[in-house]
Amino acid sequence: MKPSAIKTAPAIITPSAGDTSFPEKTRLGNGVPVYLLGNGAVDLLRIEFVFNAGQLVENVHLAASATNAMLTEGTVTHDAVSLNDLIDRTGAVFNHTADKDNAGLVTVTLTRKLEEVMTLAEEVLFHPSFPEKEFRMLTEKRLQAFLTGRQKTSVIAREVFYQALCGERNHYGRITTPDDYMSLTTADLKEFHSRHYRPDNMYITVAGRNPDQALQVLQRHFAGTGTGEWQKPVIPELIFESAGPGMIFREVGNSVQSTVRMGWKGITRAHPDYQGLQVATMILGGYFGSRLMRNIREEKGYTYGIHAVAGAFHGIGFITIMTDVANSYRDDTVKEIKKEIRELCINEVSGDEMALVRNHLMGELARMFDGPFAMAEAIRGVIDYDAGADYFTRFADTVRTITPGRIKELFNKYFNIENAFEIIAGAK
Amino acid sequence: MIRFERHKLGNGLRVIAHHDRGTPMVTSNILYDAGSRDEDPGATGFAHLFEHLMFEGTSNIPVFDAPVMMAGGENNAFTNNDLTNYYITLPSNNLETALWLESDRMTGLDLSEGRLMTQKSVVTEEFRQRYLNQPYGDMLLLLRPLAYKVHPYRWSAIGMDISHIERADSGSLIRFYNRYYNPSNAILSVAGSVSPDEVFMLADKWFGNIPAGESNGRLLPAEPMQDERREITVHRPVPAAHLVMAFHTAGRNSREFYILDLVTDILAGCDSGRFPDQLVRSRELFSEADMYLSGEIDPGLVIFSGRLKDGVDIRKAEEAVKEELGRLASGPVTSAELEKARNRYESHRLMSYLSASNKAFSLAFHELLGDAGGINTETEEYMSVTAEEIREASSRVFRPANCSVIYYLPEKR
Repeated sequence: MKPSAIKTAPAIITPSAGDTSFPEKTRLGNGVPVYLLGNGAVDLLRIEFVFNAGQLVENVHLAASATNAMLTEGTVTHDAVSLNDLIDRTGAVFNHTADKDNAGLVTVTLTRKLEEVMTLAEEVLFHPSFPEKEFRMLTEKRLQAFLTGRQKTSVIAREVFYQALCGERNHYGRITTPDDYMSLTTADLKEFHSRHYRPDNMYITVAGRNPDQALQVLQRHFAGTGTGEWQKPVIPELIFESAGPGMIFREVGNSVQSTVRMGWKGITRAHPDYQGLQVATMILGGYFGSRLMRNIREEKGYTYGIHAVAGAFHGIGFITIMTDVANSYRDDTVKEIKKEIRELCINEVSGDEMALVRNHLMGELARMFDGPFAMAEAIRGVIDYDAGADYFTRFADTVRTITPGRIKELFNKYFNIENAFEIIAGAK
Repeated sequence: MIRFERHKLGNGLRVIAHHDRGTPMVTSNILYDAGSRDEDPGATGFAHLFEHLMFEGTSNIPVFDAPVMMAGGENNAFTNNDLTNYYITLPSNNLETALWLESDRMTGLDLSEGRLMTQKSVVTEEFRQRYLNQPYGDMLLLLRPLAYKVHPYRWSAIGMDISHIERADSGSLIRFYNRYYNPSNAILSVAGSVSPDEVFMLADKWFGNIPAGESNGRLLPAEPMQDERREITVHRPVPAAHLVMAFHTAGRNSREFYILDLVTDILAGCDSGRFPDQLVRSRELFSEADMYLSGEIDPGLVIFSGRLKDGVDIRKAEEAVKEELGRLASGPVTSAELEKARNRYESHRLMSYLSASNKAFSLAFHELLGDAGGINTETEEYMSVTAEEIREASSRVFRPANCSVIYYLPEKR
């Protein structure tokens, strides 16, 4: 035994979320919303362009992500090689973002290169040329990555889960096949681009030191004449045809582990229970000392990690629990997950556990608002899903005031173990 | 420029403080000079297994995570071949909680059999999840024993073989703890909205009375110069072939490190680099082609890693990589290529300064290399690299006899 250090604990100051107010919104001359996030410590600007151009609005499957990936593969004035050479000379980062519901571009640039970088951003966002050769190469690469994913139990389980939960007649539950890659054409991309990459269908966030210095430059590049006035994005109507809950097994030959995914339909951000459900899910499987981590990892040693998440897209919410375990542990893992949920449905969490989760979430909120770059990432979900500028302030209130009785109520309402989707992907 | 102050406690603990007024948070980062290179070849994966045990609590603080969370913090750790690093980020007015936790687990760890059994199982599942149940996951596990024959870099931090973890006993773990987890073998780096004076005062309060212990003073066998090409072929259930080529380089403190870091950026750091341009776009041999430094402190590796396109012969692909590397050795890179690499370095350096926790680790790491001030002087190292240095280093490093190659091929259907 080593001689020990001081044992007495220092007093802990209850963490607060700090200032969670939403950033200032301004508009370019044509109405494009611009969110300014200031007080950066270094001479960098992060400028993100978000379009209502995700899978949500595509008519041809995979058109949204392919269009987005092709933006930097050539424009009307530069071929792919010279375009990328110009981008890389500035030292800037151009990150493509394409998800289920939105798509766009994140640029991070040295402040002194702002004008050059925005000239290039305008070119790639609004004047891409979709050359055939680059498209063929991209398709081959994407297909290879897709086939690699077919070997992963976690990928298969995720796909099957959302298919069962959302049904196949919408972009959340749709299954992708190799044919989807092979049948896509540059004509599909050009059509998708002209319909959705428009100034009247976008917003911009600017984060860094003195973000307002970017406004004039943005005005010049993204509020030109003849582009139309900005309109509130239209969310298409979605059809959800969920399969009945129950157990689905998918064989992934030779895998040494199985992915276990369990879940339920959840609620969307507008629902009054949404924020409380975030706290409840955190207690179950949202942190290192959560119920599931303590049981499945720290007591049983079945897994490297197990997580529970409650989230929402447009029109549908979900609750999901996921973990990778040795094939031989998977049945017992499902049993233990159900046991932990049952426990939370019967007994209220203790005041200590409640305080722990409260403080942890307050710390998380403070970290989400720690600097303009972090904030720019945090506000995306709120803007994209129209969750309201007071979302984080309300969340801080929920975290402060929610009671163990209310948590128990939420478990009984949303975590029905008789009625769960249970997906297992792994060896037979 | 990252300003910092440095102070050494009586027991040898090196303390670094960086005052970042732009954040309400603070990161306490403690680095132990013990990594998988310090393990016995018959008992590998110990440093990493030990990292897991450091979260298992002490008699004084049975649940390590609870106070971190009560203080609004988050924490994690990582182990590599050179070192083990622990960090806690929390609101700056709770810094003392982090220091209390770190000083407590430096001395009073619970290494009971029960805790050990569970973490052995967790690490086994980590091994499976990250290396075995991932397509291409074991590639780097294969590379180390091919490239190294003597130096302990011949195994990965996760261990040479999972049976080593299964056999780990508490006696050897206690010896490992007593040997390496001491003030004189550690560097504490604090970055955030706390003044250096306060940091030093609190460090002395929480760590000052812990006995010094020994510093590492390791004596590792040097890897002999490789004198012939090495090659292995494996077949795995993957959709596409993958080529790995690794060359021995000088250590982290050498001029060669900075030269080759820029070389990898010119070759593969961005989309207009020579590899994406030539090997992917123009000749269509690879769907992606990357090159990077392993970045270890002792002499390490510079690694090419490329996913082949369907139907391409892997030997032909390898020839093309060699041609590109040969081009570096025979003629200078252009001034445009150098300028691009320098601009990219500058923006990436600034991006890494956005987070106090990055700065805290980086300061501790440079201190381990010999001087925390390296965080600032390395900019000059990069900016001063010349085309001639690149040509000279490339001809020295990218020789066939200095190369280890893996042909990672799809199983025949």
